[in-house]
Amino acid sequence: MNSRFRTILMSRFFFLPVLLLAVVFSWNIYITMHNGGLVRGRVMGPDGAPVAGATVRLMEQNFTTNSDRGQALTQADGSFEFVDNRSHNIQLRAEKNGFMRSEQRVVRLYFRAQNTTLDAPLVLQALPSK
Amino acid sequence: MTSSFPRNTLTGAGSTVPVRRGAAGSKQRRELTLIWAFLLPSLLVFFLYRILPLAWNVILSFQQFSLFGESKWIGFVHYRDMLEDEVFWTSLWNTLIYIASAPIGILLALAISLMVNIEIRGRNLYRTIVFLSYPLMTVAVGIIWRWMYDEKVGLFNFILRYLGVIDKPLPFLQSFEWALPSILLANVWQILGFYMIILLAGLQAIPQNLYEAASIDGASPRQQFIRITLPLLRPSIFLAFVIGIMTSFTSFDLVYVMTQGGPSHSSELLVTYIYKAAFELSRIDYAAALTVVQFVLLVVLTWVGNRLSGGDAGARETG
Amino acid sequence: MRKNIAPKSRGVRRSPHWPLHVALIVVSALMLMPFYWVLKTSLTGENIFVYPPSVLPKDPHPFYYVDVWYFIPFARYLANSLIVSALAIAANVVFNAMAAYALTKNFKGRGLMMTLLLSCMMIPFQTTIVPAYLITGQLGLLNSYLGLALPTFSTIVCIFVYKASFDAVPRSLIDAARIDGLSELQVIMKIMMPLSTAAVATNVILSFIWSWNSFLWPLIVVREPQMQTLPLGLSRFLTYHENTTGALYAFCIMVLLPGIAIFLLAQKEFIRGLTSGATKG
Repeated sequence: MNSRFRTILMSRFFFLPVLLLAVVFSWNIYITMHNGGLVRGRVMGPDGAPVAGATVRLMEQNFTTNSDRGQALTQADGSFEFVDNRSHNIQLRAEKNGFMRSEQRVVRLYFRAQNTTLDAPLVLQALPSK
Repeated sequence: MTSSFPRNTLTGAGSTVPVRRGAAGSKQRRELTLIWAFLLPSLLVFFLYRILPLAWNVILSFQQFSLFGESKWIGFVHYRDMLEDEVFWTSLWNTLIYIASAPIGILLALAISLMVNIEIRGRNLYRTIVFLSYPLMTVAVGIIWRWMYDEKVGLFNFILRYLGVIDKPLPFLQSFEWALPSILLANVWQILGFYMIILLAGLQAIPQNLYEAASIDGASPRQQFIRITLPLLRPSIFLAFVIGIMTSFTSFDLVYVMTQGGPSHSSELLVTYIYKAAFELSRIDYAAALTVVQFVLLVVLTWVGNRLSGGDAGARETG
Repeated sequence: MRKNIAPKSRGVRRSPHWPLHVALIVVSALMLMPFYWVLKTSLTGENIFVYPPSVLPKDPHPFYYVDVWYFIPFARYLANSLIVSALAIAANVVFNAMAAYALTKNFKGRGLMMTLLLSCMMIPFQTTIVPAYLITGQLGLLNSYLGLALPTFSTIVCIFVYKASFDAVPRSLIDAARIDGLSELQVIMKIMMPLSTAAVATNVILSFIWSWNSFLWPLIVVREPQMQTLPLGLSRFLTYHENTTGALYAFCIMVLLPGIAIFLLAQKEFIRGLTSGATKG
């Protein structure tokens, strides 16, 4: 009886699905530990100095549509934080005073509401004057 | 009721122990009932979804079908309509082209299976790679090939232009001449592995000593191939041919995803036209008539294939 | 045959195999090319708008797969496909075994039954779609899991695969079991099936592949978006989004993986089952 159990356990038909389930299970645990919806980053001016009081807008990206999801202001050290991101495909853009704007940064996450921090800061550039 | 005589009469091999005839008879009757009970679920499925539909198709083709009221019997009207229906003739012609190109795929598969049959290292790997395309979802295969044929960014256009064969991109799936052959190529790609497996099984069933005897007699490899291999492969080739005919049906997925039968029905197959007639044009009765024609075509072609491959070729039943 | 046969070439080296390898490698490359191409695009999103295409993937990322998971009810389609396939596999394994066992016995009308079944094999599914739709409608099974799976509950090829395997079981075993008082059902479960694992494997794999990949029947029977199976979901996605996103190809890959995985996992049994002579035209 023991050897029959062992054959079943060792057989690739049992072993591989179990492995798959284990991977899925641990991935889901990882997700629940990291899906706080936090998005953090920094905004810098063209001179490299942090910019306070800049408005950062969060947009949610669908296949065809792009919708506004909120704004945040940067702190004194240029950092900002969103706490309720629910998407996995977002875009961020920083603005200040209507004169300075950064690129529209696309951020793609591995799962919805994944906590993430931008590697590179958003750099404000002066808008070309008309 | 069963306790009154020895159990070893159950084998049914003829009871040597005389017992109450009624009891023995009822034992056999019970076994018979059990046999039919075991066959029942499968038979029910086949009846509901093969036999009954076949008969109903014939009936429908002579009727004017009405979902809510009475269906009227109208005789050969649909068949007459069919003769004047250009789309029908186009799709029939396309289906025939499809079937006629099965031998090409079989030839390719034969070459590959001959190569894979030789005892070289990694032959199992090659065999797996070639067969890998068969268990795939045909819809996904259609999407992949559709994109490879794309006029602007497709792989084929790129290769052809890189090699200088053409200088303007070719809209494969949107052109009248190239739509059907393009779908055909995708189909051959997918079915090649299946042909290969069938032919390989046939090859491996040929006894080795035939070849040995032939070489001792001085036959060249080519002669051995023509005189030994080909004739003994006939059943397998017939089987592959029947599968090839069937792919003109199962390519519904490919046509639906790649061209929808266009442009202008130049890639329309009988099976896709039947679907459109029944479910898009709501002409269920006409679709039934088309189905009858398709089925007759299938039977005729199979019979012809059977004759050509030496008759009774499908009867390699294992005992 | 291009086979090198020992008696003739005794003492002579066999001809080199490398041309064979080259040819087979070319063939393999051609067969694998579509896979590679779609895998590459699903990971990079290249070649959807840009020409000329690049051969190697640049900056691969898995985010299209994330898109597919969230933006399409992939889990729903997957569940539907799984349920329908599970029904089909279960029914196939059970019903085909029963029918095959019945066919191993000698009974009046057995020859007729066999001919009937063989001729049923000549009726391809596509020639039955119109009445099958009407029948399924009459049974009230349109747009239901049972309706989706019912036509695939039994196939003749699979019955013969079982039969070939059952026929090989020695008579004496069955007789001994009957003497021990086992009922017919128990004979199947305790003797026939354990000895026919290859046939069971082939049945499982064939019925899985046919039900998982089937497109035309779900296209006819499914009437609501949430009952769609994976092939339907895929073709619907193509209709809405055409070639505009790498997610389409990620969807393709996700849909192909189970078929490939099952096949690779069980290819020995699968090929053995197909070539055991039980596959009829």
